[in-house]
Amino acid sequence: MYQLSANAIRDLILKGEISALTMVQTCLKRIAHHDKEVGAFLSLCAERAVEKAEKVDAKRKKGEPLGKLAGVPIAIKDNIHVEGLISTCGSRFLSNYRAPFSSTVVELLEQEDAIIIGKTNLDEFAMGSTTENSAYQVTKNPWDLSCTPGGSSGGSAAAVSARLVPLALGSDTGGSIRQPAALTGVVGFKPTYGRVSRFGLVAYGSSLDQIGPLAASVADTALIMEIIGRHCSRDATSITAPSENYGKQLLQGLQGVTIGLPTSFIQDLSKEAKANFMQAVDLLKSLGCTTVEIDLSLLKQSIAVYYILATAEASTNLARFDGIRYGIRSERAKTLDEVYEFSKQEGFGPEVKSRILLGTYVLSAGFQEAYYRKAQKVRTLIMKQFASAFANCQIIAMPVSPFPAFPIGSFQDPLQMYLQDIYTIAANLAGLPAISVPSGFSQDQKPYGLQLLGPQMHDGAVLHTAYHYEQATTFSQIPPRFNNEVLG
Amino acid sequence: MSNLHEWEPVIGLEVHIQLNTKSKMFSSAPNRFGDEPNTNIGVVCTGQPGSLPVINKEAVRKAVQFGCAVGAEIALVSTFDRKSYFYPDSPRNFQITQFENPIILGGSIETAVGEEIKTFQIHHAHLEDDAGMLKHFTSFAGVDYNRAGVPLIEIVSEPCMHSAADAVAYANAIKAIMEYLNASDCNMEEGSLRCDCNISIRKRGEKQLRNKIEIKNMNSFRNMEMAIEAEIERQIALYTHDPDAIIPKGTYRFDLEKKETVLMRLKEEAEDYRYFPEPDLPPLLLSLSFVEEIKKTLPELPKQRFHRYIEELQISPYSASLLLNDKPLCDYFEEALAHTSNPRLLCNWVTVEFVGRLKDSGKTMGSSGIPPNHLAELVSLIEKGTITGKIAKLVADEMVLAPGKSPNAIVQENPDYQPVSDSGAIEKIVDEVLQENPQSIADFQAKKTKAYTYLMGQAMKKSRGKADPSILNAILTKKLESL
Repeated sequence: MYQLSANAIRDLILKGEISALTMVQTCLKRIAHHDKEVGAFLSLCAERAVEKAEKVDAKRKKGEPLGKLAGVPIAIKDNIHVEGLISTCGSRFLSNYRAPFSSTVVELLEQEDAIIIGKTNLDEFAMGSTTENSAYQVTKNPWDLSCTPGGSSGGSAAAVSARLVPLALGSDTGGSIRQPAALTGVVGFKPTYGRVSRFGLVAYGSSLDQIGPLAASVADTALIMEIIGRHCSRDATSITAPSENYGKQLLQGLQGVTIGLPTSFIQDLSKEAKANFMQAVDLLKSLGCTTVEIDLSLLKQSIAVYYILATAEASTNLARFDGIRYGIRSERAKTLDEVYEFSKQEGFGPEVKSRILLGTYVLSAGFQEAYYRKAQKVRTLIMKQFASAFANCQIIAMPVSPFPAFPIGSFQDPLQMYLQDIYTIAANLAGLPAISVPSGFSQDQKPYGLQLLGPQMHDGAVLHTAYHYEQATTFSQIPPRFNNEVLG
Repeated sequence: MSNLHEWEPVIGLEVHIQLNTKSKMFSSAPNRFGDEPNTNIGVVCTGQPGSLPVINKEAVRKAVQFGCAVGAEIALVSTFDRKSYFYPDSPRNFQITQFENPIILGGSIETAVGEEIKTFQIHHAHLEDDAGMLKHFTSFAGVDYNRAGVPLIEIVSEPCMHSAADAVAYANAIKAIMEYLNASDCNMEEGSLRCDCNISIRKRGEKQLRNKIEIKNMNSFRNMEMAIEAEIERQIALYTHDPDAIIPKGTYRFDLEKKETVLMRLKEEAEDYRYFPEPDLPPLLLSLSFVEEIKKTLPELPKQRFHRYIEELQISPYSASLLLNDKPLCDYFEEALAHTSNPRLLCNWVTVEFVGRLKDSGKTMGSSGIPPNHLAELVSLIEKGTITGKIAKLVADEMVLAPGKSPNAIVQENPDYQPVSDSGAIEKIVDEVLQENPQSIADFQAKKTKAYTYLMGQAMKKSRGKADPSILNAILTKKLESL
């Protein structure tokens, strides 16, 4: 039952073949059994989930209409607010912060009768690529418990990968949905910037942040995107275009789609990763796609640009965590300056501190021109290069990560860790929709992901291509070894 | 006053005005003054993580109205920036303001300074959100976020003013515009209008500006005037004492008791605000048709009234500005205007006589209960010669005491206020006056016109102001000529 897709769960509940309560209890049971090892969840809201499930079941019994995600359990990254639940953002600073309101995405999901199961682990304030920067726990990769699931949405990715829940929400500022999706063998989608409301997402880099789903299949991804991909008046950057029926778009043929390949950009890939990528490209060709060379040479600059812009925005977004209104306030503090200083000292981890420092520095008088302003210019150039590329193709294919899941603790140097985001960051800089879809395994049975990107607002096209690729492969359907072992 | 022949003050003003929108600048929390602390708050104005700002269209409209009212360029694309500083009254520890691309560019303010009509240039005006307020108690401090997020328009002038009177006239004129637009209460005591004055002085003829200082936190125009004057004095004294002195840039406040400006902090200590574009707000785009529509639907503005008063009604610029700077008074005047043929006289009675009489009671013309047409009636009684000016003042006293009673009724009920038009009685008075003033008769015969006026005055005095001036005039002339 835990292997059911969101679409299947909804259908079975609508037909009355299973109850929402059973579904929720199945998930809670699996979490109780397996999450001690995986460490995907920071908190569960079992009571709340059971209540909601009972309401869904009652509605069905009364013959009232049910939502598109009726009875589907879903996990929420802990930087997305669910009213009344603690949103730690993986930070000690917010260990006591109960969200005073629900994010728009959570409201939309609950309107469609989805059932929130709990909050998942992340790198503190979504800053990191391994979920190791969480102040609470290290999440493990269900495919190999000694490895990281990636990050920062590592908790959500691991929860879906281990089939603790069929669906989860993550947030993606530089690859934080796609990279953990790739490393844990699930589908992860970063929508067009502005397609999904950020209201209720605790901001990291506001101009880059985007909420998106992690799911076991593209069809489930499309389903949840139909619900959360809509205009929100509480987010001024939200796109006003009406929501789309992505599920319907999936079924169109793939014939004639031109895929752009930035060959020179990916030349440094390891032999195995490159082979995996080329295999995926060959499969797309066999499905009727044509390929074309595109120039994305500027993407080499994207890491530098990202770490200037994201940290600049973060340094101001995180300024509100000052110990005055909410979160922790240092007990040692006696003066106002000490409240600021000690609360931050005690509340933030080292990665967050260094990103705040970096962001403050690049915005400072005398340095802003050389860093922040220049990075903005390069960002514009990167957008232009994408625009030229999309003049010749509908979809761009790239790897997600230079390598599959790696052992926990392997990156001691943050700069080295930053480099692994080379393939994912550009989509955030240009606001493009991008998906990671399972594309096979390494020699030691760790998942690879294929990344597909589209022009802004072509979310449907990205999902469509990914769907056909997924249908032609079996990678999404292979459960992690973790399952085999535990279930024996 | 020090040597202003030698020294020229240069003054620029930053006027911060809270817009009286229903909700706050970036959220739906109510914008209301005077409520219990932390009741008009929401997730945005307390800086909750996960909250996002959304621009208040009503605030934008009011800002554009102001821009149109001062003939400024309205930026069809303007942007918001984050201004970072740490203080507990700042819920996000950054303010959202318009640093790089403000919504209003240029424009000018025309107003009377004394009887002189002057024009002052505006550099720009931008939208931003207000901070909360710190409240200090004996053992702790609290923050009230009711004010946090209230829409502010900050109007920045060119350094184009040269006296405290200029600055006060300019600020008054801006206040008047905001009131005519119904865009703000402009209450300095409640903080809905706040002025920062930038002041430097230089030798007359000198081209370059010297270092300026800034004075903040003045809670009335009167205090602002005194503060500017005190600061000009201070700077002149400094340069006079040491011609090579360099006045350090700094922020001052005005000590009302000592009547002097007091240093709060030097600018060298000022923070780096690290301005950068607010990523949560896309550029604010306005259509030409939106701006045109606002231009077309502007209410009558103080400037239009000003020109009508001085050009059509022959009111002096100073008197006109007295009316214009007090919108309710001016509206009252407008109502009375419909019933009079002598606007100048009416203006004088409204702005001088009645305002003076009501001053101590704390009432205004509007709240006095005196209907505007009664003022017109009083003026008309004077004009027609039914009563003299002197009696009119007594009638005015009674109008204040018994609001609602018409001047006609007051005059009719009191024989003392009724003019003496009995020529026999007047003739008797004239005879007495002529008898008492032989020298004036001689002067009159020596063609000294003042003597006639004097004799008229004496006769009027004897009649206790009640003699009908035209009859008195006729009799006095006849008697003098027949001597």
